[in-house]
Amino acid sequence: MTWDFLAGQFAQQFGLWWIIWPAILLGIVVGILPGFSPQNTLIMLLPLTLAVPVEQALAFMIALYCANHLAGGIPAILVKIPGSGGAAATTLDGYPMTKKGQAQQALVLCFTASVFGGLITTLATLALLPWLSKMGLYLRSVEMVVVMLFGLTLIAVIAAKDFLKGMIAGFFGLLLGVIGTDHIYNTPRATFGFLELYDGVPIVPALIGLFAISEALVMIEEKMIVTEEGRAKAVSAQWAGIIDGLRLSVKHWWQIVWTAFVGLFIGIVPGAGASIASFVAYQQSRLWSKHPEKFGTGIPEGVIAPEAANNGVTSGTLVPTLALGVPGGSTAAVMMIVLQYHGLVMGPRLFATNPEVAYGVFVSMAVAYVFMIFTILPLARYMSRIVLIETSYLAPVIVLVTIVAAFVERQYAFDMALALIFGVIGYIAQKTNYHVTAILIGVILGPLFEEYLVRALRLSEGHPSILFSSTLGNVLWALLALSLLLPAWRGWRRSKAIADAQFREED
Amino acid sequence: MTKESNKSGDAGVANPSLGADLVIPALALAFAVYFFVDIAELAWEAKANGVLIGTVLVVLIGIQVARLGLQLGRGEGSFGFESLLGPREALPARLALVGITIAFIAVVPWLGLTLTLLLAMAAALRAMGLKSWQKILLISFIVAASAWGLFIALLETDMPHGPVEAMLSKILSK
Repeated sequence: MTWDFLAGQFAQQFGLWWIIWPAILLGIVVGILPGFSPQNTLIMLLPLTLAVPVEQALAFMIALYCANHLAGGIPAILVKIPGSGGAAATTLDGYPMTKKGQAQQALVLCFTASVFGGLITTLATLALLPWLSKMGLYLRSVEMVVVMLFGLTLIAVIAAKDFLKGMIAGFFGLLLGVIGTDHIYNTPRATFGFLELYDGVPIVPALIGLFAISEALVMIEEKMIVTEEGRAKAVSAQWAGIIDGLRLSVKHWWQIVWTAFVGLFIGIVPGAGASIASFVAYQQSRLWSKHPEKFGTGIPEGVIAPEAANNGVTSGTLVPTLALGVPGGSTAAVMMIVLQYHGLVMGPRLFATNPEVAYGVFVSMAVAYVFMIFTILPLARYMSRIVLIETSYLAPVIVLVTIVAAFVERQYAFDMALALIFGVIGYIAQKTNYHVTAILIGVILGPLFEEYLVRALRLSEGHPSILFSSTLGNVLWALLALSLLLPAWRGWRRSKAIADAQFREED
Repeated sequence: MTKESNKSGDAGVANPSLGADLVIPALALAFAVYFFVDIAELAWEAKANGVLIGTVLVVLIGIQVARLGLQLGRGEGSFGFESLLGPREALPARLALVGITIAFIAVVPWLGLTLTLLLAMAAALRAMGLKSWQKILLISFIVAASAWGLFIALLETDMPHGPVEAMLSKILSK
C-alpha cells in the first residue's frame, strides 16, 4: 500500500459524495428509531446495493452503517430512548445533561466523540490492518468471558446508590437473558411456550420497553421533560452551545481516543459488538476518572465514552470480515453477502487480488465520517429544541411509534406485546429505583457471557481452570481485579483523608 | 438518576410506601421459580449459568425482603403502593396510554398500520388532555402518514396492511 494508492482511494471516495450523503441521511433517520439496526436496513435495501457497481454499493453501505451508529445516541440524549443497544450507556449521562438544559452540548459531544472516535480507529485500522487481523485469533472464548465481566461490573457501578436494588435489577436482567434455547443442546428454557422466545429475549423490544415506554409513562407526570431552568436554556439555544460542546470535546480529546480504541479492540472479536464496547468503555472511564461519583449526573465524559467506543466498533467489526472472511457482526455479514455477489471472496487473498476493495472499505469509512460531521453538527441546535415539546404530545408519539418500531427487526407482532411488558416492568423499576439500565445490561450481556463461558468449559470438558489458562486471559483477569479493587481503595483513601482532616481540626 | 430519585416516592417522603419496593423482587422471584421448574430436567451445560444467576437473585431478594421487613417493623414506612401509582392526577392518563397501546397491538393486524396508528394517536392525545380536535387530527395524521411513508413505502417492511394501505397501493400503482 503506497501513499499514491491511498491518495487515489481517498479521491475516488470523495467523488462518491452523491451516494454517501443520502446514505448518511438515511442512516441518521433509521438510527434514531429503535428497531432499525443497520443490518435490517441494508437487507431491505439489498436490491439497490446489488444493482450498482461494487465501489458505490460499498460506499453506501459503509456510510449508512456509520451514520446509524452515531444517530443512536441522539434519542438517548434527548428523550432517554437509545436508538440501539450500543447507545444505552449514553442515556446514563446524556439525558441528565438534557434535563439540565445542556442538550445541545451533549449532542455535540455525542457527534464529535462518534465522528472522531470512528475516524481515529479507521485510520489506525488502515495503518495496522495486518496486526489487527491477528488479534481476533488471540481473543478466544476464555478471554471474552473476562471482557464480558468488565461490562457486567457496570451493574455494580450503577447500583452504587442502592447496591441491593441495583444488584437485584442486574441479576433479574441476567436471568431474563438466559431465556431461550441453550448453546449446546438447543433445548428451550423458560420460554413460556412461545416460539418467538427460542432465540432469547430480543434486544430491541427490551430496549424500547425498558427505556422508551417506561420513560413515556413516567414523563406524563410533568408538563415538560426539562426543568424550568433547562427550558429557559433550550429556548435561548444559540450557536454558542455548539461552540461550547466543541470546546468540551477538545478538552476531553484523550478520552475520545482511548475509549474509541476500546471499541476497536472489542469490535474485532467476531460476535462482540457495540453494546459491550459502550458499557465497558463507560465502566472504564468511570474507573479511571478523577471524579467517579459525578458519573450518572450528566457529565461530558459519560457521553463521550460510550459514543466513541460505539463508533470505534464500526471499523473493528470489518477487520475479521475482510482479513479472515469471518463476519465480525451481523451488519458485516450483510456487507459480505453484497461483496460476494459482486464476485469478491473475503479473506487474506482479498488484499492481494482486490486491494482497492480491501483498503477501500476503510478509506470509505474515513470519508463518510468526514462528511458526517459537517452534516450533523449544525443540526444539534435544532434537535435540542425537541425538549420544548410538552409531554402530552411527546408521550403518545413515543409509545406508539416505538411500539411500531419493536415490530420491525423480526417482524413478529409478539415483539410489540413484549415491548409493552418490558415497558411496564421498566416503569415499575423506574418508580421504585431499581435501575432499568442494570436490567438491560443483564439482558444484553447475559446471553453472550453464557455463550462464551459454556464454550470455554466445553473445551476443557468442564474444568473451570481453563479460564486461567492463557497469558492474555490472566492479564485481563488481573485488570478486572484491579477494576474492582481500585474504587474500594480510593474510597478507603478518601474516608481516611476525611478522618485525618477531622482529627487535625479537633487538635 | 436525578429524575428517578425525584419521582420515586421514597426520596423526601416522610412515610415511604415500601410495598411498591417489593413489586420488582416479587416479579423476579416468580420468574426465578418458573425458571428453576422449567430447567430442572436439562443437562448441566444448559442450566448451570441460570442456576447460578437464579440462586444469587433469590438470595438478594431474601435480603431485600428482610430489609424492608425491618424498616416496616421500625415504622419507617407503610405497606402501600403510593410511590408506584402516584401522583394520582397522572394515573388516568397513564392507564389510558397502556390501554390504548394494548388495543393498538390487538387491532393492527386487521386495520393495518396506518389506520390503527391514526386512531390510536387520536385516542392517546385526547387521553392526555388535548381539547382541540383539529390539533389532535392534524398530529395523528402527520404521525400515521410518516409511519406509512417510512415503514411501508420507503423501507417496505412487512407491517400489517389494511384498507388504507390497500387503497394507497392501488392509487400509486396506477
